[in-house]
Amino acid sequence: MLPILMRKVLILNEDDNIAVCLVELEIGEVIGQDGLNLTIQNRIPRGHKVATKAIAKDDGIIKYGERMGHATSDIKVGEHVHTHNVLGDRLSTEQSK
Amino acid sequence: MSNQLTAFERSDGRWGLRNHVLILPLHSAFSATARKIADDSSGAVAVSHDWSGEVDGDFDRIVKTISGFAANPNNFATIFITIGTPNELAIIELAKKIGLGKFEVLNVAELGSMSKIADIGLQMANSLLKEAKLSQRISAPWSAIKLGQECGGSDALSGITANPALGVASDRLVGLGSSSVLGETTEILGAEHLLAARAITPEIGARIVETVARYERSINYEGIDMRGAQPSRGNIEGGLTTLEEKSLGAAKKAGSAQFSGVFEYADQVINPGLYFMDTPGHDTEQLTGFAAAGINIVVFTTGRGTPTGSAIVPTIKVATNTTMASAIPDLIDLNAGTIADGIATLTDVGGELFDLILEVANGKLTKAEKGLHHEFSLSRMYNTVIR
Repeated sequence: MLPILMRKVLILNEDDNIAVCLVELEIGEVIGQDGLNLTIQNRIPRGHKVATKAIAKDDGIIKYGERMGHATSDIKVGEHVHTHNVLGDRLSTEQSK
Repeated sequence: MSNQLTAFERSDGRWGLRNHVLILPLHSAFSATARKIADDSSGAVAVSHDWSGEVDGDFDRIVKTISGFAANPNNFATIFITIGTPNELAIIELAKKIGLGKFEVLNVAELGSMSKIADIGLQMANSLLKEAKLSQRISAPWSAIKLGQECGGSDALSGITANPALGVASDRLVGLGSSSVLGETTEILGAEHLLAARAITPEIGARIVETVARYERSINYEGIDMRGAQPSRGNIEGGLTTLEEKSLGAAKKAGSAQFSGVFEYADQVINPGLYFMDTPGHDTEQLTGFAAAGINIVVFTTGRGTPTGSAIVPTIKVATNTTMASAIPDLIDLNAGTIADGIATLTDVGGELFDLILEVANGKLTKAEKGLHHEFSLSRMYNTVIR
């Protein structure tokens, strides 16, 4: 495992299919910490989520080991996971529009 | 550092983590006098409020809050200042039923003047403070800790730094036999089904869901649609995608333990375990309700550095981010932002917070205590109508 200081993403739960970015990540950047092997697909701002596993359309997005919504399109490993490809299962802003 | 918890044992078996002498006005008009007595004394505390005897839809809630606050086990003694109306005397009687504390009464109808109240109150407070100094902390069981979980001024890091660190500490305390209480119904809306799944019985799970549904009905009745605002634009910019995600972040304060029950606002917390309490998201109303419930220590996570504290319940402030923690060190007891900086793990910070809770329980003063943040606020649900 890499020293803690070099950690760029945070895995909150081993069941998660996303990690939280601790720094802004650029396209092509490779994340190799904690057994991950991700190549970043889009620029991802700090605090946002990156897919650590391939996520098929309609699959659950798992954060903190819990379902926080579902994918509205297929999401590749290393891709930005946010409102453009995720919808909440209930009370989501998109649904209430 | 010693791993031994020490506390003040009360005559009814409850435990205090502080030994306060509280001056409590039962009518808003005594607030200044209560404050003067506390300020002139050798260490008593006082609170102010705006209730002046009105009996309306909130009467029961107000009586419950003031009496519970008076009977909190962190109080060595409470001095009530009263006009002497039956409703005010009923608050004193209810406080006596909640806990076998030491209660003194300054009745203006009997004493005849405010200056007499101030003079006698000061003598009384100083004599009780002397008496309080004679009582010693003794070794206490983990069940002596009744922890309240609170968050205020949350940011995008709340759910990944300070809140889960509190969850780690809460899980450890619950495992040892302490009580731990998650509040803020507004902050679990969207994640209640997940909390309900962690209830020890289906009935308790159904109550968690119903408590949130009841709140949702009340905001719909008021004509407020919160859904369009959740998550807010700022939340989305910060990286929060769905309402479930936001609420899951807030609920991280409760760790992963099972829920043993649901409390109404300011219900007495007696047994060990993790609980949910129906409280407003309003920081001071929640903190006051926790104190009225007998909660004797609070961990308050914050992204903005909310200064709110309680006159009688030590409130530990945990920062979600290093920027704020460095900017206002006077208000922050522990920085969990190190998790997002990549220099500490959740386990590290959760462990540090557990140690800090024990130190504060054993008497170490929090920043909010040193800064004399003695906020108090009565929670109301209805318009005030004097009948």
